[in-house]
Amino acid sequence: MRSNQAYPGENKWKGWLYLLPGFLIYLGFTFYPILETVRTSFYEWNGFSARRDWIGLQNYRVMFYDAQFTNAFLHNLIFILFFCVLPVLLGLLLASLLTRKTLPGMTFFRTVLFLPQVISMVVVGVIWRWIFNPQFGPLNILLKAVGLGSLTRAWLGDFALALPAVGSVGTWVQYGFCMILFLAGMQHISEEYYEASSLDGANAFQQFLHITIPGLRAEIGVALVTTIIAALRVFDLVYVTTRGGPGNATLVVGFLIYRSAFQQNRIGYASAVATVLMIIILAISLLIRRLQNGNEEAKE
Amino acid sequence: MKRMRLTIAILLALAMILGACQGSQKPAQTQAPATEETTLVVWDQFYRDVESQVMDTLNAEFEAAHPGVKIERVVKTLDDLKVTLKLALSEANGPDVAQVNQGRSDMGAMVEAGLLLPLDSYLAKYNWGSVFSTSVASRNSFTPDGKTFGQGNLYGVSPTAEVVGVYYNKTMFKKNGWEVPQTFEEFEALLAKIKESGQTPISFGSLDGWNAIHEFSAIQHLLVSLDYINNLTYGVNNVSFKTEENIKAAAILQQWAKAGYFTEGYPGIGYDDSNALFKAGNGAMTITGSWLAGELINDTDQEFGFFLMPPFEGKKALAIGGVGIPFAIRKTSTKADLAAEYLNWMISPRAAELWAKAGMLPAMALPEGADIDTDNLFGDTLRAWDAINKGNAVGHYIDWATPTFYDTLVAELQKLLGSISTPEDFVSAVQKDYEAYLSK
Repeated sequence: MRSNQAYPGENKWKGWLYLLPGFLIYLGFTFYPILETVRTSFYEWNGFSARRDWIGLQNYRVMFYDAQFTNAFLHNLIFILFFCVLPVLLGLLLASLLTRKTLPGMTFFRTVLFLPQVISMVVVGVIWRWIFNPQFGPLNILLKAVGLGSLTRAWLGDFALALPAVGSVGTWVQYGFCMILFLAGMQHISEEYYEASSLDGANAFQQFLHITIPGLRAEIGVALVTTIIAALRVFDLVYVTTRGGPGNATLVVGFLIYRSAFQQNRIGYASAVATVLMIIILAISLLIRRLQNGNEEAKE
Repeated sequence: MKRMRLTIAILLALAMILGACQGSQKPAQTQAPATEETTLVVWDQFYRDVESQVMDTLNAEFEAAHPGVKIERVVKTLDDLKVTLKLALSEANGPDVAQVNQGRSDMGAMVEAGLLLPLDSYLAKYNWGSVFSTSVASRNSFTPDGKTFGQGNLYGVSPTAEVVGVYYNKTMFKKNGWEVPQTFEEFEALLAKIKESGQTPISFGSLDGWNAIHEFSAIQHLLVSLDYINNLTYGVNNVSFKTEENIKAAAILQQWAKAGYFTEGYPGIGYDDSNALFKAGNGAMTITGSWLAGELINDTDQEFGFFLMPPFEGKKALAIGGVGIPFAIRKTSTKADLAAEYLNWMISPRAAELWAKAGMLPAMALPEGADIDTDNLFGDTLRAWDAINKGNAVGHYIDWATPTFYDTLVAELQKLLGSISTPEDFVSAVQKDYEAYLSK
């Protein structure tokens, strides 16, 4: 009852002061750079010369007609399948398998399955570049060893397969995060629901569909937002594995921004692309939050 | 009392944050006078083992000869250097000396932004004119506005020379009775013969992209004139990329890919990996630059040789080549004279000797009586460089031509190699990029 009131003699504003250092850091290192990026997107600038020319919306116009931007964005959308849809499904499956019965060594399995999430993306890229190597990579060696030599490919250099190959690395990284999230969520679902439903004759799949999934609504929402963001802003993985190649078969928006800004000295254009990417990510995140909240209200 | 302490704590925290911000903006004021310790910050991209040791030796000897001077060396890969250097050079406490890649998007852009010190006064002071020719100097020169490449002020000095040619596995050649080809026709016949014997004719990997440019351009240099390649690279006299010669070169490269002359799975193999495979005896030849020689001499039971891409019957051949990435001085460096002294050391006879001993081509002449064995791979590259240098056949890295040329060439060559596009599509796509640049 007194949460909004200060103790007698206490400064009401003191609480805000505690937030100040964090807020200043946020202002300086997040908010200001974003503003500066948006501002730069209206200029033509090479990044270090003193001269920058105001060109209004020209960068955005160029981007609209840039086939590479459309191409890159399409690849990001395909990555949503690999970074978001597959990991969420896999995460649900693994989480329900790991909670159903307590087996010896469960902590070990949880840890191992979560491990990819902990490794830095650059290291992940280096590891998979080696796994995919057509000459001495374990993947092709394995395929040959089991008599599937005809399936061996130059995975990262194949025009049709490079994108799914990089994408599946994304799945490998993301599913552990989804799994841990869902495991935590499942602790909150009361055991009684399962007992009652099994008395009524529900099987495991029905329980999963009607108890587990609705119970994990909030966690699924979080998983969707974070993994979709990861799919849209991916850069490091592509940089380390394929550099957008072969041709532009794995070009993503993040890499296009890097290439324009640091290899071609088109900071203005890169900023415009970055601004659009940011707006798209914000819009999608808000949409998911909306849908989730809408669901919750409908339930209550 | 309690509140007082809290307020003080917050103020202290704020002061620390502000102090940190300020500290990074101000140039260090407590710079030591020259008599005490002076630190020269040097950024280079000699990251491979053998190269790196040469730099360490040169730095140590420079420190020994200049008491009180300390070299702080920062090593980066070329990619890393390209990305970080522009920002670092615009800082008041950035590197004093750095290797700056030639070409418009690097050196040109930095000259335009006023980040590099013109070296013409040092050129006179140290008599560098006797160390390297004007044709070499022009590759490190720009007009002060950064617009015109190949003339104007000197902005860098290169310690090493480079020539792109063919490395071959001597051990393998001897065992199979193969001969070094004298003409391009013989070269192609040899490729077919090696393929027939079940081995890989050319070790190659196009995953990183950039070396595909050398693969194509090495063939291109056999077909075009020196005037053409100069005009194309310096962006003068309105030449086109869409020429019969370029189409022919692209067609030959595509043909090699189709015939299976490259390492199996080459689109998924990176540059360093393909070289490791070649060094291990996988592949009879590889087309790349003389910078690899040092790596191929050590830790291997194979013997390697080097020859220039052989000319078409009755035609004069050029070769991709030039001087290596030059050392330049940051314009705002407070130690410019010391930095110039360092540059002079980098192109001294002693440096030439060390580079040669490490199997790398020095850009400057070797000292008289230097104890260097030339009856080996290094001798091969030295003779190749000599031949094109004296024969006025030193071509260019064509990706210098426009700021976007590198990315365009890499993407289009990968399509060409994968038979996604035809040689005609390839030259058209590249010409589109070139036209867009010229019309600016």
